[in-house]
Amino acid sequence: MSVAELKERHMAATETVNSLRDRLRQQRLLLLDTDVAGTPGRSQGKTPVTFGPTDLVCCRTLQGHTGKVHSLDWTPERNRIVSASQDGRLIVWNALTSQKTHAIKLPCAWVMTCAFSPNGQSVACGGLDSMCSIFNLNTQTDNDGSMPVSRMLSGHKGYVSSCQYVPDEDTHLITASGDHTCVLWDITTGLRTSVFGGEFQSGHTSDVVSVSINGSNSRMFVSGSCDSTARLWDTRVASRAVRTFHGHEGDVNTVKFFPDGNRFGTGSDDGTCRLFDIRTGHQLQVYNQPHGDNEAPHVTSIAFSISGRLLFAGYTNGDCYVWDTLLAQVVLDLGSLQNSHDGRISCLGLSADGSALCTGSWDTNLKIWAFGGHRKVI
Amino acid sequence: MQTGSSGEVRSVVGATDTRGKHRISAELKRLEQETRFLEEELEQLEKLERASASCKELLINIETRPDPLLPVLLINIETRPDPLLPVTNGPVNPTWDRWFEGPQESSGCRCWIL
Repeated sequence: MSVAELKERHMAATETVNSLRDRLRQQRLLLLDTDVAGTPGRSQGKTPVTFGPTDLVCCRTLQGHTGKVHSLDWTPERNRIVSASQDGRLIVWNALTSQKTHAIKLPCAWVMTCAFSPNGQSVACGGLDSMCSIFNLNTQTDNDGSMPVSRMLSGHKGYVSSCQYVPDEDTHLITASGDHTCVLWDITTGLRTSVFGGEFQSGHTSDVVSVSINGSNSRMFVSGSCDSTARLWDTRVASRAVRTFHGHEGDVNTVKFFPDGNRFGTGSDDGTCRLFDIRTGHQLQVYNQPHGDNEAPHVTSIAFSISGRLLFAGYTNGDCYVWDTLLAQVVLDLGSLQNSHDGRISCLGLSADGSALCTGSWDTNLKIWAFGGHRKVI
Repeated sequence: MQTGSSGEVRSVVGATDTRGKHRISAELKRLEQETRFLEEELEQLEKLERASASCKELLINIETRPDPLLPVLLINIETRPDPLLPVTNGPVNPTWDRWFEGPQESSGCRCWIL
């Protein structure tokens, strides 16, 4: 076949794909007969959440970074946090005592993401060096905080934006990258087990900036991308995404699985958060606060409370909304509370037992929020 | 799909022509594969339940773990206790309140780091 004939077939195939995508979008819209807020529920389930002025409070401020905080992660055993900052360091904190147990000076200062291993003995980080570096916390640091890297995961052709260890597997983690792919790594060998997307496979068509692994089924993970979509992947099938979730009108900066593992949330440059069902692909709810004529601030990070009833969302303007996920209403803005951050909240994370939320900010601090009010029993 | 890339292909003779041909051929295969995936998804959509069913399921099945962030405890075995909610299912775990016990300042911290 000649080049000209191939080009013709390519153009025709492109038209077919675009037309099928339009049909899919229209069909999905027809099935969207309601959302969660519009669905009548049992009376207790739909009683609005109301917080008193001193219910959710900042009970710790973790100071020590000298640059913007970009990422944070809790350990499964509750009280330790690792954070990554523009100052080129990872700090490991005991969140209960506010003490720093490690301050690791990174070989590449341009770090964007960090994660704790399930056993709490290692931390991973990645950034503009296009690599994911693993540090064993039992290793001694130098006087200036340098620590030898115990494993370097190289292979991405773009920056590493996000990383997460596979739950209960200290030897595997998943990274998301500016090279449009996600990768599942075997840390023991340093090799890529699977590449999701990329030049020769169906996948994201722009930078992937967030990843979240299903805590109930660790073979499934979702990724968020600058192509405005989120994609669900099965780690056993790297050739194509299980499903692509459309709806956002801007970069999907953050994705997080819902606690039960059957849904996930997203946050985007379009200023909205959304809730999607992984089994049907339905968009169940949009969380959008009107901003009048002003351009809506972008969503930088999200986290669900342990029951899923609350959705925490950090925004570029310093707001940190607490959404009632069932009623799609903002019940609190942590950004407006006393002792809140002085800058954008760039990352959020819930402790393993759900008793505390940690926020990281461009003001260089991390803060711990917990419920300090009186719990009523009904 | 980088559809714009098709416009970058030049029709020249020799080795360059072959490389261009292979690239277009690979992209065409990907588009044909994508077409099959999209047709499969359209077929699945025809049998799919509406969003209202998924929303109802969310309301019924929202987690049963106690939630430390909720301010009110509901005696409801079907909802997950949430420590951050003012109203939450029990049982309450006393460790939820550890953030408000003991010294809350790092004045006791003698770490020399930074």
